[in-house]
Amino acid sequence: MTPTELPLSHPGRSAALAQSSAEVTAGEVENVERALIDASTRVPVLMFYTSAIVWLLIGTLLGGFTSFRLHMPDMFSGIAFLTWGRIRPAHMNVMVFGWASMVGIGTAIWLMARLCRTTLRHPLLLVGGAALWNLGVLLGVGGILAGGSTGYQWLEFPRYAAVVLFVAYTLIISWAFMMFRFRRAGPVYVTQWYLIAAFLWFPWLYGAAQVMLFFAPVQGVMQAAVNWWFANNLMFLWFGSIALGTAYYMIPKVIGRPVYSYHLAAIGFWTYAFFASWTGMQRQVDGPFPAWMVTASIAALIFTIIPVATVGLNHHMTMRGYFPLMRYSPTLRFTVFGAIAYTVFSAVGVLISLRSLARYTHFTQASIGFSHLGLYAFYTMVMFGSMYYIVPRLVGREWRYASLIKLHFWASTYGVSLMILMLLVGGLVQGISMDNPALSFSESTQSVLPYLRGRSVSGILLTVAHFVFAFHFGLMLFGLGRTDRVPTFLNPQQEAQNTH
Amino acid sequence: MKDLMPLLLGIAGTLFFSWAGLTLIPNVQIGHLEPQMDEEGNDAYPLPQSGMVERGRKVYVANGCVYCHTQQVRADYAGSDIDRKWGERRSAPRDYIFDRPVLLGKMRTGPDLANIGKRAPAEDQNAAPAAVNSPTPASASAPAASAARGGSSPAAGSSLSPAAVAAAAAGNASPSPSATAVANLPVAGASPPADVAAVGNSPAASAAPSAAVASAGSSPATSAATAASSPAVATAGTSPAASASMITTSPPATAPSPAVASAGTSPAPSAPAAANPAANAATSLDAAPATGGPLQYSAAWHHQHLYDPRSINPDSIMPAFRFLYDKRKVSGQRAADAVQLVGHDSARDGWEIVPTYDARCLVAYLMSRDQSHALNEVKSVTPPSPPAPGKAAK
Repeated sequence: MTPTELPLSHPGRSAALAQSSAEVTAGEVENVERALIDASTRVPVLMFYTSAIVWLLIGTLLGGFTSFRLHMPDMFSGIAFLTWGRIRPAHMNVMVFGWASMVGIGTAIWLMARLCRTTLRHPLLLVGGAALWNLGVLLGVGGILAGGSTGYQWLEFPRYAAVVLFVAYTLIISWAFMMFRFRRAGPVYVTQWYLIAAFLWFPWLYGAAQVMLFFAPVQGVMQAAVNWWFANNLMFLWFGSIALGTAYYMIPKVIGRPVYSYHLAAIGFWTYAFFASWTGMQRQVDGPFPAWMVTASIAALIFTIIPVATVGLNHHMTMRGYFPLMRYSPTLRFTVFGAIAYTVFSAVGVLISLRSLARYTHFTQASIGFSHLGLYAFYTMVMFGSMYYIVPRLVGREWRYASLIKLHFWASTYGVSLMILMLLVGGLVQGISMDNPALSFSESTQSVLPYLRGRSVSGILLTVAHFVFAFHFGLMLFGLGRTDRVPTFLNPQQEAQNTH
Repeated sequence: MKDLMPLLLGIAGTLFFSWAGLTLIPNVQIGHLEPQMDEEGNDAYPLPQSGMVERGRKVYVANGCVYCHTQQVRADYAGSDIDRKWGERRSAPRDYIFDRPVLLGKMRTGPDLANIGKRAPAEDQNAAPAAVNSPTPASASAPAASAARGGSSPAAGSSLSPAAVAAAAAGNASPSPSATAVANLPVAGASPPADVAAVGNSPAASAAPSAAVASAGSSPATSAATAASSPAVATAGTSPAASASMITTSPPATAPSPAVASAGTSPAPSAPAAANPAANAATSLDAAPATGGPLQYSAAWHHQHLYDPRSINPDSIMPAFRFLYDKRKVSGQRAADAVQLVGHDSARDGWEIVPTYDARCLVAYLMSRDQSHALNEVKSVTPPSPPAPGKAAK
């Protein structure tokens, strides 16, 4: 068996289908059907992907600028919109709402269509949604650069941009539920749980945060509580759900085995929803809040070990014996990296929020490292993997250069690993100096500077990775991919067949 | 469809649970606080801020200060915030009831600002009375307070220098809370370009550049914990308690010493005297300006710091906010609030750098950051109440 398109539409039935040669014709019918479904999603998904990649490039440049400015503070000090405190929120919001949300929605549309086994109706609704979403991000980033930031983390977009985003989102979600409504009968797959949940949680989170911060604002520190409840849940419940759902689809799909255990998947899903949603306040440990709020979040974060362990175990057992396939399949390589990063993300999250360690990591670069661990090493890598799988099925071409995919993977992997290492270790060093009142405060910033320079180096690696990927994606978009029946493997396919 | 309902209900239920638990219920608990008052209904804290301060908050938000500066003091068991003199007590929800947006922050790439206004030299809050006495040559050349107040003194107990002892003694001897000790002194402002220097009119002050006198007003909170090792401290108070304790506790300090920190009351030759080697070696932001600049944390200091952070602390990685300042030709007299630059960045002759209205609002906002008022629900670490057993010694 090769890691190519498998004659299975539903991972749960793969074993039955593979055993019975009498159903091959049925498999062929499904292949045609699936091609039709893929074709119906082509325009909106490619639109989301293209926008996402443009935002990714913009966000990468802004991020690099932020990073370099930290150790070269005198650059452009006379220009208001290039000041560090505006570029940094612009970078964050471009990444969160431009890149991560758009690529996630793109992947989710495609997965939903596939799993509901129904063609996409009214794609124009989605195209309109994507256009409006782009407009919202553009307005928001422009607003931040012009000095209109609201001052709440991950919610810096001025109110008018938030309204546009919300309208765009309504268009997108109405479509998603329409598709779910018209789905072909059959069990609802794990991926669908995560996606439906994500699609319901996002408007709740975003709407509740907007109302409680802007339309009927809460008092004083409660704003910060709402803010962190929102930001953390956006990471866990929106991005995390999309990425976990995607991994639950891609890993079984690529290796051609069903998910190891549905019971584990169910436990993982519900404990995730239950515990991850309570985190957030650990980001304000020992702040001016009732202690029980922070403690509840820390406890919830510790309990997220349960979903992490079950999901990790499930993926691991599914992959068992198939790890060598990572040598060939780009999708698998990125997805498995992301799935492992999810475990690391949670473990680091638990560690740095324990009060004894938070004393040193709180208020330092470690929290930036933690954010990148979640949003990049986990989420973005899974999304890259899904794009390597989905884009060829949309444009009818295969990725042109295996070498570029490899370059993308290694530059991303080394880049993000170096970045996280630098930020976590640097943050710890910074925090230890900061905790010692005998050292002057600037000792703490001085002690972290070498690590920030290292982080800038990692930013260069990531920039290379993203531009390579964007170039490759552009080739695909303009029909310059390979017209082969066989997907692009990272290493010669001959070897791939021999392993089994 | 049947198995779908539990899914949807579960999805909605889990998020509702966390929404209620982390936002709605706490909002009942701490979302409707009132300012605290004493029995007579006076002394309300906190109070709504002026329009200028609120506009300054917008400038603070627009330029992303919150990404590097927190505005929260943790309790003494949770971090070294109080040891760093960032506050005398931990922050409490009530401190923020008028803040919108609330700017707690999550990063300390720069120091905490919860009490940055409290750390300002008292002259700024009492600018009107301070300007009464015109500077005489004697007082201008006096070892005025800037270096000392700015905190180049190794005060606050980590050092055993006589000056530090004197400062501490003076602070304790003063019957009034240390926060107001300086304000009660009839201090004299120097000439406008140097309006930041405090010059006492006691005999001790005019007695010369050689007198090192402990500052009565530099409570531990206003002094750096560890700064330059120079023992030079200077100021003069007319408060009998303060000067008495100075004289009695630190006779050696009055001896002529090369380490005397001379205040930068003028750009005159006396300024370089402050640049003793120890002060230059200090890389701390907490250190006083190496050469005679404005008093630390005064409005003029903030303007200079915002315009050119590295002129005050060469190691700072704070971005310069030059777009908040106008460079213009001097027409007539120099503007009173023109940024006093030293060294290579000083404006050429005939030019001056003046803060825009936004910059002045921003500084007004910074100067308003003060959580020193006692709250009933929070234990203060330092007086007026006697030190809490055990904790205060740390």
